Amino acid sequence: MSSPPVEPMRHGFRDELEQLRLQVELMGVRVDENLERMREVLRTGDIALAEMATEADNEIDAMNVSLTERCYLLLSRESPVASDLRFIVSVLRIVSEFERVGDLALRVVKLAPKHEVLARSEVLFDILVTIGDEAVDSYRVALRAWSAQDLGMATELATGNRSLDLYYERLTAELQRLDGVDAVPIAMAAFAAGRSLERIADHSAIIGARLRYLITGEPAHLAAEVR
Amino acid sequence: MPADTNTTESDTVDDSLEVTPDTQLPNATAPEVVFDVADLSVYYGAFRAVRDVNVEINKYEITAFIGPSGCGKTTVLRCFNRMNDLIESARVEGKVTYHGVDLYDRAVNPVEVRRRIGMVFQKPNPFPKSIYENVAYGPKIAGMKGNMDDIVERALRAAGLWDEVKSRLKASGMGLSGGQQQRLCIARAIATDPEVLLMDEPCSALDPIATARIEDLMQEIKSKYTIVIVTHNMQQAARVSDRTAFFTTEVNPESDTRTGLLVECDTTDMIFSNPGDERTENYITGRFG
Repeated sequence: MSSPPVEPMRHGFRDELEQLRLQVELMGVRVDENLERMREVLRTGDIALAEMATEADNEIDAMNVSLTERCYLLLSRESPVASDLRFIVSVLRIVSEFERVGDLALRVVKLAPKHEVLARSEVLFDILVTIGDEAVDSYRVALRAWSAQDLGMATELATGNRSLDLYYERLTAELQRLDGVDAVPIAMAAFAAGRSLERIADHSAIIGARLRYLITGEPAHLAAEVR
Repeated sequence: MPADTNTTESDTVDDSLEVTPDTQLPNATAPEVVFDVADLSVYYGAFRAVRDVNVEINKYEITAFIGPSGCGKTTVLRCFNRMNDLIESARVEGKVTYHGVDLYDRAVNPVEVRRRIGMVFQKPNPFPKSIYENVAYGPKIAGMKGNMDDIVERALRAAGLWDEVKSRLKASGMGLSGGQQQRLCIARAIATDPEVLLMDEPCSALDPIATARIEDLMQEIKSKYTIVIVTHNMQQAARVSDRTAFFTTEVNPESDTRTGLLVECDTTDMIFSNPGDERTENYITGRFG
């Protein structure tokens, strides 16, 4: 007994899904480039680079819109089911996570004019730069996990970044220790930056959870959210 | 432990990320099983049309049978009301129980089986008689007591056809549109007050609007009847059924014939979101054919 010979079908649809996967990856790479700009702006306060990042974010937003439209079109035209449906639904959710990470990066970038204020407290500044590195690392794992559709990396992400949590706790503690006349402006800028960076890691973890659902089909992974 | 250990908790990723596949809601009450099929094989002469089917059909649920041509789904459906008895060369192996009673036991009367288990076919097949007589025919034969007008009206209402035909009950059933004819056949099937309705591609000859009406009708009547539907339309299975059974075929190398087999049966939600078997996935996504 053997299964009857089968031939691959729906070539056009398969090609479109593959194109979609690559274009989501491309959007992720654009976000990654902006995260690199963000990290540099955080370190140096480079205003020109900050403007470049703002421009680049417009492109990321446009990609989000266009990929979302593509997903709607495929849903209406192809009536996808099973892994195809999970894929398209996951793309819809993951591109919005990418877009959100891009927005958070931009919040940090917009602190460029306050670089001098931020750098006044050396301890705080070092912690911020480290949190930035950790957040970018988390995001890179998310991007790699998407590219490779890798369950191991997705699981690693979804269980959170413990060291970043510790740095964030230290940041909060240091903020409370601030004194002097410029304590308030420093605290406000550092808090704004720290919070955005921490949330970049949170959204990377969510991408991990979305991928776990995509790969396993296990609905429990749908529960993940950023509070 | 310091009291402020959790100060940043609310800003972190939701703990529910850690939910494992083991986390499940408590089981609802198990549904009542109407048909229990165990190791069912059906032969036509020496040819085995379908083999080793194991499946349960639950009460007041719609179960859809899907799969490629020749996979045995209609053959299995026909076992539920012993329609295969009418084919001389057909032979059934294994067991089909109906509420625990062996359907193929010698003591079981096939006519009584077919009264309790109605069938609706692919092509609407009204008798060349009036609308009224089409519906009244079954109850008369079955010797049902009560006012025949009431029985006919009740069946036509249940089939969603009453308002369209009440003023012309004496007109021929053959004069109705395809969709109306199919609803007339459903009225005819439920007039004898069966428990189960078997539907063999009931919408394949109908346009999308007539199809939608039949699908709505199935939802309306499923609180009273257990329904098993064979369909080639996977979206229809996804729309109307509670559980879906996927059948496929395998090739017998010596005879170059094909035998059907059941791949899996699960909730329709599961089959269309995350099927357990790759063959199901390939079929429903249309990836291979």
